[in-house]
Amino acid sequence: MAGAIVDVHVARGDDGTIRVITAGSVSAPDYTRAVLDVAGAVLAWPVLAAPGPPMAEIHDVGRAQQWLWAVYGERVAAAVHTCAAGESVEVRVAADMTPLAGGAARLGFGHWAARWWPASHLDGILALQPDVLGLELAALTHECQQLFDDDGDQPDDCVAELIEEHQDALAPLIQWRHATPPSTGTARRLERVLRSVDDAADSAGLDSEALRCLRSSLARPRPDGTPVDPVAPFVRHDDYALAAGEPLVAGGRLIARGSGTNDWRRYPPGFVDASESAVSWTARALGAGRQIEVEVVAHIAAPVAAVPLAAEVRVNDGPRNRVSLSRRVDVWTGRADLDLPAGETQPRIELGVLLPGFDPGPGPEGGAERDSVRALVRRRLATAAQPVAPDSPPNDGTSGPFLAEIAAAITDEDY
Amino acid sequence: MPLPSQPTGERRPRAMVIDGAWRALGPGLESLSGPGGAPLTRTVKLILLPLIVRPGLHPELATDFLAPEPAARLDALIRESGGRLVATAQWFTLLKRTRRALGVVAGNPQDLYFQRCFELAAEHGEPAADAGALARSVVEDVADADGGRTVDALKRYLTDATQHARLEVELGVGWEGRQLTPAADTAAAVALAGEVLEACGGVEGPRDSPSYTSMVEAGHGGLLGRALWTHASGVWGRDDLPAHLGLTGRRLPPRPQVGRGASTATLPAPLDRTLFERLFVVLQSSARREELPTVPELVGREVGRSCAPLGLYDETLRVAVLLGGQLAVGLDPLGIGKPAPGRTAAHRAVNSRWRREASVLRARRMTVSPRPDPDGGVLDALAQDLRTPWVAYMRRLWVRLHGRDVRDAPLADAASAWAVLDGVARSVMMDHRARVRSALRTLTASAAPPATVAEAAESRSA
Repeated sequence: MAGAIVDVHVARGDDGTIRVITAGSVSAPDYTRAVLDVAGAVLAWPVLAAPGPPMAEIHDVGRAQQWLWAVYGERVAAAVHTCAAGESVEVRVAADMTPLAGGAARLGFGHWAARWWPASHLDGILALQPDVLGLELAALTHECQQLFDDDGDQPDDCVAELIEEHQDALAPLIQWRHATPPSTGTARRLERVLRSVDDAADSAGLDSEALRCLRSSLARPRPDGTPVDPVAPFVRHDDYALAAGEPLVAGGRLIARGSGTNDWRRYPPGFVDASESAVSWTARALGAGRQIEVEVVAHIAAPVAAVPLAAEVRVNDGPRNRVSLSRRVDVWTGRADLDLPAGETQPRIELGVLLPGFDPGPGPEGGAERDSVRALVRRRLATAAQPVAPDSPPNDGTSGPFLAEIAAAITDEDY
Repeated sequence: MPLPSQPTGERRPRAMVIDGAWRALGPGLESLSGPGGAPLTRTVKLILLPLIVRPGLHPELATDFLAPEPAARLDALIRESGGRLVATAQWFTLLKRTRRALGVVAGNPQDLYFQRCFELAAEHGEPAADAGALARSVVEDVADADGGRTVDALKRYLTDATQHARLEVELGVGWEGRQLTPAADTAAAVALAGEVLEACGGVEGPRDSPSYTSMVEAGHGGLLGRALWTHASGVWGRDDLPAHLGLTGRRLPPRPQVGRGASTATLPAPLDRTLFERLFVVLQSSARREELPTVPELVGREVGRSCAPLGLYDETLRVAVLLGGQLAVGLDPLGIGKPAPGRTAAHRAVNSRWRREASVLRARRMTVSPRPDPDGGVLDALAQDLRTPWVAYMRRLWVRLHGRDVRDAPLADAASAWAVLDGVARSVMMDHRARVRSALRTLTASAAPPATVAEAAESRSA
């Protein structure tokens, strides 16, 4: 995509914000937006659209001029300049697809993947290892250093934090590098990420045992032709076995069952299996009483510690009631009395799962967009399972697989 | 010159001209460049602009877009320095290696050494074979540059029993000697603050406001400080808000104590802090400690300062507290949209920044429920903090102003005051995001016990 030219609109809002608007959709569910905080602006991309230049909301034009030309080309930089000076209100201008635009898109997409990747046992969508992804994000942040300044208000300018938090993945990545023939595309990606991490750590003055190992390993010539088992560094330890299905309540008469809405926005990543069928309910009659049982399939990596996840139940458009959930092996379950008329056999039950305090509230249905996201990551994982072409461009925007995707795809033995 | 030629008129982005000139210098600049070959952001900010381009001397180079002639001049300035920059890069590599060998880890090497490397390059050219000793002395020199202005030195100074007792007496005298005249009406001061804020936050950037000067001359900041001592009410146009806006956790600010220790995780409200705690924050957060007064001087002046209105000597800084208070009571981080009296252009600017932040937080799956939730735990507490944004805002603001007071750095005009007020607003946002991240990490970490989210940044203690 480098070199292509796309038209964008540059416009000035009432509050003085300058916007760079692309053809991509504007309002979409939160889980279809990749965003990046950069010097003086926020960049955004619709993850479901074809690759293209980012949208930008520029609140400090002076600081943004440091990178605008390098992301969009100098015509857009000039258009932003004239809009900010009040010389024009809205202009249409051609943007170049530059290497920095590709790098920024990849970094934004990586941050998106770290938060919204719809890992699911039920759907067969593999999880990404957070540490492997985190180190690649550190490398990408370093490669996109032109986007950031040292004003301290850009949370995404966090190379040092990313390296410190995720350095546990350094050893397996070094091992993987040693086990991969240098001529392959994967080897080139590994090389690039590890060298960037090393360079970034050196620039920021970081030091640790793992980083010293990295430095000495990069200084040694790579032993060719001693392939170890490439899967070894990334053997998964999750013995995932669904224990759902056994009834909570002995006896009782089944009235109805159904599935709820799995709105990813309402709980943090890593708790609930992302499948639409992960959230389900069963209504039973026990004598004159009615009860609802809720089952929510846990995320592959869900913490065992007590997390106050809750279900929200709404019967026949009545009030929304909370049902607290507790963890049983691989499902969260909860139970509550149900206020149903005696003859009601087809209650209309809406069920959601949420984390209290986190939940922004119920949103639009969004099932179609979630399906699109699943289709996207399935395509990506399928690509990641193929050998990376050795001649693939180094900075190929979002299209090339991340190391975490390749690692997930090549260790896919359990499924 | 590898600038892509694009017919967009004659003027070109200065950053692009710098990038082109830099790349044309060729190899040997890797340690000052990013992975793609562009100069590091800090190379531009700390070396190229201030030491080579020097827009102060060349006003025609002080703009974001350059006409062909100035562009050529800038290009020439950088190219002329090519040799010195290559030597600078080599010195930087050497200093980084030396620093690692000496086990120095504090600070960012670029911030610490870039300027020194440029000086070394001018004086010595490229590092010679025997440059190791010089490099060692530079690294040690930079590491010791604080000249004993450390938290440890403060601790030693204040643990001396005689010293401690003397300071307690002085604090007692200073506190009793405060001017407690009944506070004049603060309404006029608050109205002027509104005018300044209206002028500051405008779309066209900060305009200078004569009201700022009037406030400083009338001593309106000191007036607010005395209002705190006498527990005035209704200062902010709302009866539910105390005059102190959380600057103290009590009804009235207490007489400061000397203190013996501090921890960032448990720091009380600014005006409840001990002498030790106030100076601890200055010493552990300062980048250029060598410019601070020595520890005995710091302590001596803090005695008087802590007994002054708002714990600040300088009137412009006290006026900034008043401006910050007036700004903070009209902030709406959760976007609830409840109308508040006296919102100005500055409020609109900061609130629009919060809206943008909220949108980013939703896209990053780092939300807090906008409505109170009794089951919400730590996250609900963070949302609650956003419902009373003045507390976090005033804490941050006071620390920044106190740091300026210690360094004798008043705020000369409304624009510099606005730069501080706006910067504090951004810091409060960063703090919020860091706390949400930390709270979510605690939830996800299966092994870690659920801890409270204190100062999420980094907590240090002494």
